[in-house]
Amino acid sequence: MSEEFEPNIVAFLCNWCSYAGADLAGTSRMHYLPNIKIIRVMCSGRVNPLFLVNALQQGADGVLISGCHPGDCHYLEGNFYARRRFMLMRKLLEHVGVDPGRVNMSWVSASEGAKFKEVIDETVAKAKEAGPMEQFRRRQLNW
Amino acid sequence: MVDEKKLREKAKEVLARDDVRRLIGWKRGTYGYESAPVVIKDASEAEELIFDPTCVQNPASFITLEEKPPVPRGQEPDTRKVAVMVKGCDSRAVVQQLVEKAYPRDGVIVLGVPCTGVVDRRKAQKMFGDTSEPVLIKEEGDKFVFTIDGETKEGPRAELLADKCVRCRFPNPLVYDELVADEVAVWGADEFTDVDEFEKKSPEEKWKFWEEQFSKCIRCYSCRNVCPMCYCLECVVTKQRPQWTRRSTDVSENTAYHIQRAWHLSGRCIECGECERVCPVDIPIMTLNRKMTRDVKEMFSFEPGIDVEAEPLLSCYNPQDPEEYIM
Repeated sequence: MSEEFEPNIVAFLCNWCSYAGADLAGTSRMHYLPNIKIIRVMCSGRVNPLFLVNALQQGADGVLISGCHPGDCHYLEGNFYARRRFMLMRKLLEHVGVDPGRVNMSWVSASEGAKFKEVIDETVAKAKEAGPMEQFRRRQLNW
Repeated sequence: MVDEKKLREKAKEVLARDDVRRLIGWKRGTYGYESAPVVIKDASEAEELIFDPTCVQNPASFITLEEKPPVPRGQEPDTRKVAVMVKGCDSRAVVQQLVEKAYPRDGVIVLGVPCTGVVDRRKAQKMFGDTSEPVLIKEEGDKFVFTIDGETKEGPRAELLADKCVRCRFPNPLVYDELVADEVAVWGADEFTDVDEFEKKSPEEKWKFWEEQFSKCIRCYSCRNVCPMCYCLECVVTKQRPQWTRRSTDVSENTAYHIQRAWHLSGRCIECGECERVCPVDIPIMTLNRKMTRDVKEMFSFEPGIDVEAEPLLSCYNPQDPEEYIM
């Protein structure tokens, strides 16, 4: 029996824009794909790129980092730092052979519930295309 | 070529000063093709200092390694300066450490040693075999003259130079208080052809390559310990709470470790090549570092270890940074 591959996506959403955007998508009763596991962080600048490596190790097939639009950050500049970091981290993972489609970033504001749905759809589509993350997933989860 | 007499005299002169605590330089190694780094506290020991193509180590690594335990009550901490001898490539490490405010500029005395290239131990071993005696190496034109176990042998310079020297753009120190020899002409250029070559591989080929390399890793952390830029008091890879990488040496943890290491050096690596030199299992670590260096240069037109006034890459931003992949 062959089932279609359903990727696990870990989404780091910033408290002020993207998390509220996801909330709006929910309260507006939009259907977005259930593959994402949301982790709320206070700012996209709080996301350490090592979170991403760790998520991929622990069984995520894709990662999404989402924050406020540039210039709209609640902390004024957190998302600018995040943009620089993940730009580099993505290139590094690509160099090691990880599909760059597994690392996604987006700007979603609190009023963009519809955009949030689109972002999730696209992220899941990319992760489906990349297939299961087998490269450096932890083999022994409980040691 | 550096006159060793002059080098020793300069060292003695510096060590004789009251405000200098110690000097870091190179001495003859105990065996093989490499010298040994040495810390000298007294002018009388300065005779063992050398500089020749065996001096591949980066003495800048040792400036930040000094342990500074809390001083007993009533005593003053030792604030005397540390003198360090640096080649061109090593001086970039000093610049980057100054950029990161690892120590104040007037806390170090930098003795610049213009360098005409050092020998790669692995290449020399391949050509002449191993030896248990220290090897003397002299540069003569486009040849290196080796004295191995009393025998004199010659090898072409281009084939024996360390990789970092082949593409060296900064043979003269970028930051120094005194130069111990005349400046030399620049011979190298860096086009990042090796990175381009690697990028041509498909993702599967890349991962196959790295899987093989990373599975060799025994996690001795030599690459971290020798790195002049890795001077955090508590390193994220040995931290237990939270534990980012487990200590088991399987492909998953090794990959995570190497990604972390390369990531922490992005925009900071000054390409002294020490990590690759000390690796006991010959992992091409510089391939990762050079990819990051190339990307940082392309995307943010930034090069670490050049300008003492620069701001560290990841603690600043430009509103016009590239963001083509962001949805």
